[in-house]
Amino acid sequence: MTSAPVAGALPAVVVRDRRRAKRKAAWRRRGLVLLLMSPWLVGFTVFFAYPLVMSAYLSFTHYDLLSAPKWVGTANYRYLFEQDQQVWPAVKNTLWLMVVFVPAQVLCAFGLATMLTRARYGAGVFRTIFYLPALAPTVAATLGFVYLLNPGTGPVNVVLEHLGIPTPLWFDSPQWAKPSLVLLGLWGIGTMMIIFLAALIDVPRHLYESASLDGANAWQRMRWVTLPSISPVILFAVVIGVIDSLQYFTQAYVAAAIASGQAASEGPTSAGYPEDSTLFYPVLLYLQAFSYFNMGYASAMTMLLLVVALTVTVLILRSSRLWVFYAGARR
Amino acid sequence: MRRLTLALAVLGALLLAVFGANARGGQDARAAKEPVTISFWVPFTARELGVINSALAGFHKKYPWITVKSTGNTNPTKLTAAIRGGNAPDAVALFETDTLGAFCSSGAWLDLSSHIKSDKLNMNIFPKTIQNYTAYENKRCALPLLADAYGFYYNKAMLAKAGLKGPPKTLAQLSAYAKRLTVKNADGSIKVLGFNPLMNWYQNSPVHFGPITGATWMKDGKSNLAGDPNWAALLRWQKSLVDWFGYENLIKWQAKAGDEWTSSNAFESGKLAMNLDGEWRTAFVKADAPNISYGTAPHPVSKPSLYGSGFVIGSIMGIPKGSDHEDEAWLLLKYLSTDSKAVTGLSLGLRNVPSTLPTLRNPVLRKDPQFKVFLDIFANPKSSTQPVLKIGAQNQTLFSTFISKWQAGHVASKDLHAGLANVDKQIDAAIGQSGQVP
Amino acid sequence: MTTVEAANAEARTLERRKPPARYRRRQFLIAVADHSLLIAVSLMFLAPFVFIALTSLMTNQQALSPRLWPEPFQWGNYVDVFRTAPLWRYALNTMLYAGLATVGVLVSSIPVAYALSRLRWRGRDTVFVLVLVALILPFQVTVIPVYVLFAKLHLVGSLWPLILPNFLGDAFSIFLLRQFFLTIPEEYADAARVDGCGEIRILCTVFLRLAKPAIAAVALFEFLFCFNDFFGPLLYTSENADNWTLSLGLAQFRTIYQVEWNLTMAATLILMAPVILLFFLAQRAFVEGVTLTGVKG
Repeated sequence: MTSAPVAGALPAVVVRDRRRAKRKAAWRRRGLVLLLMSPWLVGFTVFFAYPLVMSAYLSFTHYDLLSAPKWVGTANYRYLFEQDQQVWPAVKNTLWLMVVFVPAQVLCAFGLATMLTRARYGAGVFRTIFYLPALAPTVAATLGFVYLLNPGTGPVNVVLEHLGIPTPLWFDSPQWAKPSLVLLGLWGIGTMMIIFLAALIDVPRHLYESASLDGANAWQRMRWVTLPSISPVILFAVVIGVIDSLQYFTQAYVAAAIASGQAASEGPTSAGYPEDSTLFYPVLLYLQAFSYFNMGYASAMTMLLLVVALTVTVLILRSSRLWVFYAGARR
Repeated sequence: MRRLTLALAVLGALLLAVFGANARGGQDARAAKEPVTISFWVPFTARELGVINSALAGFHKKYPWITVKSTGNTNPTKLTAAIRGGNAPDAVALFETDTLGAFCSSGAWLDLSSHIKSDKLNMNIFPKTIQNYTAYENKRCALPLLADAYGFYYNKAMLAKAGLKGPPKTLAQLSAYAKRLTVKNADGSIKVLGFNPLMNWYQNSPVHFGPITGATWMKDGKSNLAGDPNWAALLRWQKSLVDWFGYENLIKWQAKAGDEWTSSNAFESGKLAMNLDGEWRTAFVKADAPNISYGTAPHPVSKPSLYGSGFVIGSIMGIPKGSDHEDEAWLLLKYLSTDSKAVTGLSLGLRNVPSTLPTLRNPVLRKDPQFKVFLDIFANPKSSTQPVLKIGAQNQTLFSTFISKWQAGHVASKDLHAGLANVDKQIDAAIGQSGQVP
Repeated sequence: MTTVEAANAEARTLERRKPPARYRRRQFLIAVADHSLLIAVSLMFLAPFVFIALTSLMTNQQALSPRLWPEPFQWGNYVDVFRTAPLWRYALNTMLYAGLATVGVLVSSIPVAYALSRLRWRGRDTVFVLVLVALILPFQVTVIPVYVLFAKLHLVGSLWPLILPNFLGDAFSIFLLRQFFLTIPEEYADAARVDGCGEIRILCTVFLRLAKPAIAAVALFEFLFCFNDFFGPLLYTSENADNWTLSLGLAQFRTIYQVEWNLTMAATLILMAPVILLFFLAQRAFVEGVTLTGVKG
């Protein structure tokens, strides 16, 4: 539609062409986005969204993989919450990980990183030494530790005996099995330590200087300068630690299998050795799903895991507003 | 028109003659000529796999058009994944009967009744226990591949040195011998153990120890651990012996004991004086430690009337769903379980108990005095086996977990009955959850 | 001199004078204490490696005894390990899995990260939240139906169930790359646009070069994850020993191949060696990559 040209306005043809060009550009952009995002779209649907929905569906069925799923309503959930006596130990063990292991990891990583910042000579060498165990493949490290902590012949107990210290049974004792796993985990703390190290180095020096000028001692400097500055990294470490503890499987499964004397894929009955002390929730889930092929019930277990994971993560992130300090940028 | 009809009729008759003949005689001709390769998954490895392969060679000689390709080291998990994934073998053998209930009830293993009927196989060629553990609720999905009997091994030299005569026959004697035969190091740790009362180690498990006191697992479809007083008797005897040695000392000794299936086996390397084990151990000892002077006997029992019996079980064979060559697989199963030459050969090679009653009486197998003991244990009418359940061996796992707490001293003696009742409750709940109707 | 000048002169001399001896000694003692602590902790971190190495050189009987020092040194154990178990095949499988998965992750995640960070489109933030959700939720939540899916596709028993999903995007890599891409100033892209480059060319030429450290980090992490992965191979390949990876093979070592602790420890070291070697060759990439995760995360 032609309109009388107004002073300063563009001719209508130009406006229309520009609009058409813009729309074409917009379509081309959408096409580009679709092209770039296509792998993720397919992957997310097939390997995340669909399985999530299927898990929810299967949790209401009895499914052993050999015949079609059979609808049983809430029977699986009733079994989960009321009758399966292995669930509560599994939940307790996983909670123990979250409450004991995660803080231990954060403290250890932070402690080691702090030590490294204070080293004047050979910091690089020490850093390498601390990081090396983190490179060891999980299975290798677990096997190594099960041997090292062998209650009869392992070097650790041999040395302790020489020193006259009472020797625990480590992976063969229900009280010491989880602490043994913690030791194994702390040995591989290198990755988190490097992250903390980078964050510590990034703390602006002038903050420390003005703090000491104000009369703060070492502890106060740490409390009021270091910790707030690296609080985003602490949050990151805590979230990662919690996610890992909710998925903790390999070390527990392999350690139990080896300590009880069975090969890993041959002896599912060794899971949780000794006395269900290493029976973490993911281990029990694996047992139910892939040893007993109780897949409907295992799906119910995954639903519970999902709820717990979401809740805990949201709680941590919510709480982070209280104690995490992002210098400069607004989130 | 008539000529056309006539031509068609002649043509039709000709075709019928040609193809009809092929349909009948052709089948025999095809069966005799067309070579077929079937896959057979077995749980054996290394030396034992070699023995199976020689039996398969004998099968090939009898049925030359069938070649069997064997694959070792299989287990129920792998098999379930394969069946579900559609990669199931044509025939399979497993060491344990734990999964028979699940496989049979879901149709993962085919019901063999039709083959048994058409081949007129008389199941009474197998002892009653075998018939029990190859069927689930009267549906026969498996045939036995040899059998196992559990008995008692004792180091004759050690017994003689301690001045003890003959193998112990009662539990009280066993305890006494165990204490006498134990040798300690200077620091108080155990160097040579008389007998290991701890469960969940090597072959020490509730299912193997049950027959020692005549304990039974199920009654009327429900778990009977608390109801049968023999279980409590077994556990109390076991705990008293554990306490005498000291639980931690035993754990430390176990940690030093070698791997069960290697030449560092505790019994074979002289670290253990007496042990419960299966009849296959005679073959291992011959291969690993031929100089050891040992004897075999039925396991010591709580009541003299039980002496001579023990736990019996066997490997089983079946045809998975999805097998492409069901008939040929059936021929293989029948051959390996009933052909006396095959069964005898397997028994000699694997040192397992033969599966059929006639072979059990074969003097060739009875020549070895240590092995003969197990044949008698197997034939003993009081010997028992484990129940075939849809939950498989989950009841044993739940019981084992309880026992591990019990033997560590984490369950008070007065709470034993309540603890067993609780395990019964868990087992019954699991059975209910699996959908098996008692 | 005025008081100010005097004060300045004194300050200057103070600067040039060394700090008092007591202060210096205290600093020295603190440094000694710090370094002693570091040395002690280093010994604790190195001890497991040392003991594993020592055990790998023992005979089987010695490995089962309380002895700490092998006598004689059984260097032949390392040869025996390869003879007892098909370690080369396991290594090949591991390389296949890790290599293909890494390629897949890079090929599929880079475009996605680019779209999420440099292009503006409706729903972009929702998608990013979904990526985060996929990152946070434990993998067990989806493992059962995925297993059933692969079983129906007859792929269980092979390494494909482990490799294929990586060609369709990986949440962690997408997240990391996106965070990094966000830090690249728009000017680079604008300059390229002015030159007439299409979006894809911008991605390929400008971004890939600028984001090299992040891409290297992602590749490294994915490779290491696959190398160390145990659950995946356990789930999908346990039934087929030909397809086992090193992790799974090592876990099976003790009973399946009737192997003893000494050979097991030798195998353990063999498994650790390539990664440690890789680290020494590419130290900077490692540390940079790890730092990237934490600081940008």
